[in-house]
Amino acid sequence: MSTLSTLDESALPTTAPSDDFGGKSSARAVKDQVARVVMWAAFLVALIPLVWILGSAVFKGGQMLLDLTWWTHSQNGITSRREGGGAVHAIQGTLIQAGVTALISVPIGVLTAIYLVEYGRGRLAKTVSFMVDILTGIPSIVAALFVYAVWVTTFGFQRLPIAVCLALTMLMIPTVVRSTEEMLKLVPNELREASYALGVPKWKTIMKIVIPTSFSGIVTGVLLGLARVMGETAPLIILGPYTAVIATNLFDGLMPTLPTMIFQSYGESVQPSVDRVWGASLTLILLVFLLNIAGRFISRFSKVRN
Amino acid sequence: MKIQRLGTMASLALVGSIALTACGSDNNTGTNAEAGGNTASATANEDCFDGTLNVEGSSAQKNAIEEVAAKFGETCSGATINYNPSGSGAGIKQFIAGQVDFAGSDSALKTVEKDGKVEATEAATYCGSPAWNIPLVTGPIAVAYNVEGVDKLNLTPAVAGDIFSGKITTWNDPKIAAINSGTTLPATAIKVFFRSDESGTTENFTKYLKAAAPANWAGEPSKSWDGKGEGKAKSAGVAEGVKSTDGGITYVEWSYAKDNNLGVAAIDNGAGPVELNSETVGTAVATAEQTGTGNDLALKLDYATKEPGAYPINLVTYEIVCSKGEDAETQKNIKAFLKFFASEEAQKSIEEIGYAPLPPEVQTKVETAIEAIS
Repeated sequence: MSTLSTLDESALPTTAPSDDFGGKSSARAVKDQVARVVMWAAFLVALIPLVWILGSAVFKGGQMLLDLTWWTHSQNGITSRREGGGAVHAIQGTLIQAGVTALISVPIGVLTAIYLVEYGRGRLAKTVSFMVDILTGIPSIVAALFVYAVWVTTFGFQRLPIAVCLALTMLMIPTVVRSTEEMLKLVPNELREASYALGVPKWKTIMKIVIPTSFSGIVTGVLLGLARVMGETAPLIILGPYTAVIATNLFDGLMPTLPTMIFQSYGESVQPSVDRVWGASLTLILLVFLLNIAGRFISRFSKVRN
Repeated sequence: MKIQRLGTMASLALVGSIALTACGSDNNTGTNAEAGGNTASATANEDCFDGTLNVEGSSAQKNAIEEVAAKFGETCSGATINYNPSGSGAGIKQFIAGQVDFAGSDSALKTVEKDGKVEATEAATYCGSPAWNIPLVTGPIAVAYNVEGVDKLNLTPAVAGDIFSGKITTWNDPKIAAINSGTTLPATAIKVFFRSDESGTTENFTKYLKAAAPANWAGEPSKSWDGKGEGKAKSAGVAEGVKSTDGGITYVEWSYAKDNNLGVAAIDNGAGPVELNSETVGTAVATAEQTGTGNDLALKLDYATKEPGAYPINLVTYEIVCSKGEDAETQKNIKAFLKFFASEEAQKSIEEIGYAPLPPEVQTKVETAIEAIS
């Protein structure tokens, strides 16, 4: 019997005797139990680091976040041995840089994905796809050094917050392209064909049918990509030195961020610094967590009804 | 329609972050009053400026410059000094590349060729004038230990060399006992901790061992450790290691030994045991020989000094500045800040956190040099 016909048969409603499938064989029951236990154990083991990290961050940094000044003040004039001050400068910097990064990389990423799925044929599409694969694989430190080499060494500019955004963009684009591509591929071809059959041009089909259908997936992908770049450290250390004051100008001076705030004082052994590092870590975890929740929320909220 | 909704969300986020911006405050003067020791208000400073100085370099002077910058900010609220402790080498590179206004470094600009480049020449090319090394922070390196029941410990360079190269393995070794009469030493094993990262502290400590006890320390001075022991990252790591280990010993900046309440050994270079305090450090730094010319105050410490009352293991960290810069405004600001840094008040404030103030002889020279910056 060929494999094909087996498949065909199994697809039909079967009346075959049940001892072929769910027979009460004790060996199977044991296997089932073992597999179940192994699966649960693996799940719990995977959970340990997560709970541990979250637990210690909340336990050691929670106190800092309860203080209102944490959310309203910067670290201006506070040394590592003094208590007080807040993280608003770093929170702001992280949000601004993440926002600008998204602003640059989302259009590029989404349009690339549309090209790859809807238009791309032949050598160019293959090349683009291959390049995206390579980009996905580059470590963040390489992206940072590349931007440093171009921005500082070649052009002789200062290290500016916008350079950080450029490095982060390099990391975010491939994530956005890949996730958007997957989402666009999930759109059933029948929808496109139906649209064409009604005489709708291709660009309109993409704008009105394909993108709205996959919109929630695209947004989730973008938010997850954003969450990833927000926690990125290497480009920040190389291109965006820390400062203790509030800075909102992307094109002049330095801009503090949560990862650099952590990096600045993680080597200190005095209590105020240690508390601050844990506080900043917890804040970063919270921000990323909120983004993830927002992603889930949007995807549920804007689900296309069939 | 979906796109519109996204637009709403985006604008919400934007408004939110702007609102956050409006709430944020850089004014922390009220909050730190109770912490941080001596906050007696500084004398009015006529050299205040509005602006930012970006500095990068040695992590050994991070706490000092942070403290002084905070004090400077108390009187000059418009001035911001950012210090990025990325290491001496990185600081000098960024200075030469024009990324920072001045650099902090554990060692003076090298005048000999390394990898085809001479740091001092490169810096001079960038500045368009000679770059000066100005010593502003002296940080003693403590030989910190944690041995139960031992509050006082004397070490000679020879014994220290033996301990750190693993030749002496227990605390009651006759060689240690011989220089610590009157102290009961336990039979605890000696556990040496060293810096696993590249560090100016390691370099200075190995320089000391090489200079003062060449027979007992075979290694060459270097930023990475080649003795025995267990590696820990950063100063905080080695201090933590000693703190949690009975029988532990390490070399670490004085402030870390103080913060962790570790015992600090007195060093006997030949003129009797010398305890670590700001006076003994000052005595040692005052005897240092100036290797730079004129206002370039590169110093050479005599690690093997037999001067009575001089604590020999020190780290002098410099600020590396352009003697004449193109940007007059920046040069003026640098000058104002360094002037405050060299002042008695600022030097006193860093004594509280484990540094030693400049001895008067050096301080006068430093002030002259800063005055000559233009």
